Amino acid sequence: MDLEFTEAEREFRAEARDWLAANAPGPLPSMDTRDGFEAHREWEHRLAEARYSVVSWPVEYGGRAATRIEWLIFEEEYWAAGAPGRVSQNGIFLLAPVLFTYGTAAQRERFLRRMARADDIWAQAWSEPEAGSDLASLTARAEPAPGGWRLYGRKTWSSRAAYADWGFGLFRSHDQPRHKGLTYFMFSLDEVEIRPIPQLDGEPGFAELYFDGVFVPDDQVLGTPGEGWRIAMATTSSERGLTLRSPGRFMATADRLVRLARELDPDPALADQIARAWLDAEAYRLHTYRAVAEGELGSATSMGKVFWSELDIRLHTLALQLLGERGVVAGPWLDGYLFSLAGPIYAGTNEIQRTIVAERVLGLPR
Amino acid sequence: MDFAFTDDQLALATTVRKVLAEHCPPSSLRASAQQTGARLPGWSQLAEVGFFGLLVPESSEGLGLGLVDAILALEETGRAALPGPVVETAAIAPFLLTPECLARLAAGDLRVSVRLGGQVYAPDADAADLLIIEHRGALHTISSELARLTPQPGVDPVRRLFSVAVEGAGTVPLAAVAPPAVRVATVAVAAQLIGLARHLLETSVAYARGRTQFGAPIGSFQAVKHLLADVAIAVDFAAPLVYAAAVALSPPFKLLPAKETELDRAVSAAKAAAGEAAAQAARVALQVHGAVGYTDELDLRYWLARVWSLDPAYGSAALHRSRLRTAILGSPELRRWP
Ligand SMILES: Cc1cc2nc3c(=O)[nH]c(=O)nc-3n(C[C@H](O)[C@H](O)[C@H](O)COP(=O)(O)OP(=O)(O)OC[C@H]3O[C@@H](n4cnc5c(N)ncnc54)[C@H](O)[C@@H]3O)c2cc1C
Repeated sequence: MDLEFTEAEREFRAEARDWLAANAPGPLPSMDTRDGFEAHREWEHRLAEARYSVVSWPVEYGGRAATRIEWLIFEEEYWAAGAPGRVSQNGIFLLAPVLFTYGTAAQRERFLRRMARADDIWAQAWSEPEAGSDLASLTARAEPAPGGWRLYGRKTWSSRAAYADWGFGLFRSHDQPRHKGLTYFMFSLDEVEIRPIPQLDGEPGFAELYFDGVFVPDDQVLGTPGEGWRIAMATTSSERGLTLRSPGRFMATADRLVRLARELDPDPALADQIARAWLDAEAYRLHTYRAVAEGELGSATSMGKVFWSELDIRLHTLALQLLGERGVVAGPWLDGYLFSLAGPIYAGTNEIQRTIVAERVLGLPR
Repeated sequence: MDFAFTDDQLALATTVRKVLAEHCPPSSLRASAQQTGARLPGWSQLAEVGFFGLLVPESSEGLGLGLVDAILALEETGRAALPGPVVETAAIAPFLLTPECLARLAAGDLRVSVRLGGQVYAPDADAADLLIIEHRGALHTISSELARLTPQPGVDPVRRLFSVAVEGAGTVPLAAVAPPAVRVATVAVAAQLIGLARHLLETSVAYARGRTQFGAPIGSFQAVKHLLADVAIAVDFAAPLVYAAAVALSPPFKLLPAKETELDRAVSAAKAAAGEAAAQAARVALQVHGAVGYTDELDLRYWLARVWSLDPAYGSAALHRSRLRTAILGSPELRRWP
């Protein structure tokens, strides 16, 4: 057991820190708007040119073949530098890991490099109006057609799908119940009818997708037709776990919160909770280092999901309490607060995660 | 960065776990409490595997290991709710006693109770040969026969607390200073609390699988599941803080001496988080067991009591939280370690 960073890890950190200090832009407009989305895409291009968009990927696809620890270090530096949210997150964090595992060589060639450069930005199309937590009840369907499939039905709550280039999602391809007979498709969003839906902050960050016989060729099926559930489940563990919401993000928020508290000198009761939240971000970091060292990233990620999402709400709630009336006028803390409130809902609600912990980690009966 | 235990560290924990499963079963806790059996079950077998010499320097016939090497073994003593002054003998005394005493300590022939500054009572002093007492800012040892011990019966019938009156005669001044020993003791108790919490969680899960109401195991009810899931999460996120503090307190002391405040912060974080997780595990264990958990007849009561008894030991979670507040908000420069 060694809790010191190696020479190589320190160099990696220093290099990332220097590059980010020189290159990270100031705040960009919300990525849930068309202009903000494109501004974030521009930033992703710059990240990619410096090989910082997907550090853990193989070099041939635009990455640096970074170790998991180096990836965590990069994330710490990224968020500490105040760099923008990752508009490419659904592709690089959710689709790419399963594309590496289940995709064909041709699919990896076709999609990964463009994804790394944000030439293509991907949207996740899983949820449906009647299938949220109970994803396996989904009814959007795929019908065989010469050379491929035609998609029918409706998907919803798809983040930024109104501006994205490609989508990935599950469709019922075989007449079988629940998690059987589902197929994982990758499709261009060009031919999909899209209705943006404003979120709580007023920005059109959600979209509803209407499929009316959109054609998808066979080579855009990920894995075997009918096996989509297994692939989707592999995605969800990266969604909940360290890829989508690594500790660096919360460490940076916690540091900002402590700086704010120093300025505003809160009473001891509030100060106590702020110190606790700062340490919880540390706990998440140490927990993650341990998970990486133990190579244990399976259903334990459900524990992490509950922990980080509830921590994020606490961090932002405390900031708003410190700020008083100034906290409820537009600004980064208010934006962050509203977004933190979604954490226990997306990536599998926290109620579902607690049930998963109870059943799969603790072995309680269904 | 490699935050994984070594094979040796894991093997030591496994050994201690096996020894205690065999020689310190739950029935022996009751026997120790009711004085119908050994006061210190498992101790002689632990001594045989070298447990009491883990932190004793090699020059005094110990193994000369660091706290991090012993931390999982200490966690196992919590999991078994091992009676006796375990932390005081195995984790404090090695830092304070003279080399002659240490050789006896390493061999398992010397049991030590401690009452340092901030403590009111000496735990398990009835089972100790030697007491280390802080008196007017200085440390002294005294043979327990020469000290006047008054029992203070309370929540834990196994971890007994004693007031100590020292008349002056027989005390021997100690040169060593307490702070490093107190840090180690605090983290060692935090490890025991993690072990206690793990046992409470496992026991509660087993009970929830077996107990049937409304025609179904109570563990199939979501309200029960979520209580237990929250305990699992609390324990899982507290343990790394304890292990990190143990690393910080082990040679080669990369954190010292420039960063004393970070060291204290790591220690307080470990004790606060472990104490809170264990308290939550105890609350939930009691709730999941229902009335039978509220009896003296179920062995569960020994683990509940130990959690309650260890909370104030070497600073309660609340005390450490307030230290953390000062450390985090009060220091002009907030650095992370590692
Ligand atoms: C900001 C944000 C971004 C999102 N982005 C995307 C995206 O890009 N793509 C996408 O496909 N989806 C996305 N989603 C949707 C998200 O995946 C769903 O909201 C989520 O799966 C929950 O489904 P639901 O909203 O239909 O809620 P429901 O499933 O209807 O749940 C409502 C409430 O009931 C509880 N509940 C439901 N079932 C159970 C049960 N069995 N036990 C206990 N409690 C239960 C839930 O925990 C929740 O509290 C996003 C959501 C948000 C908030």
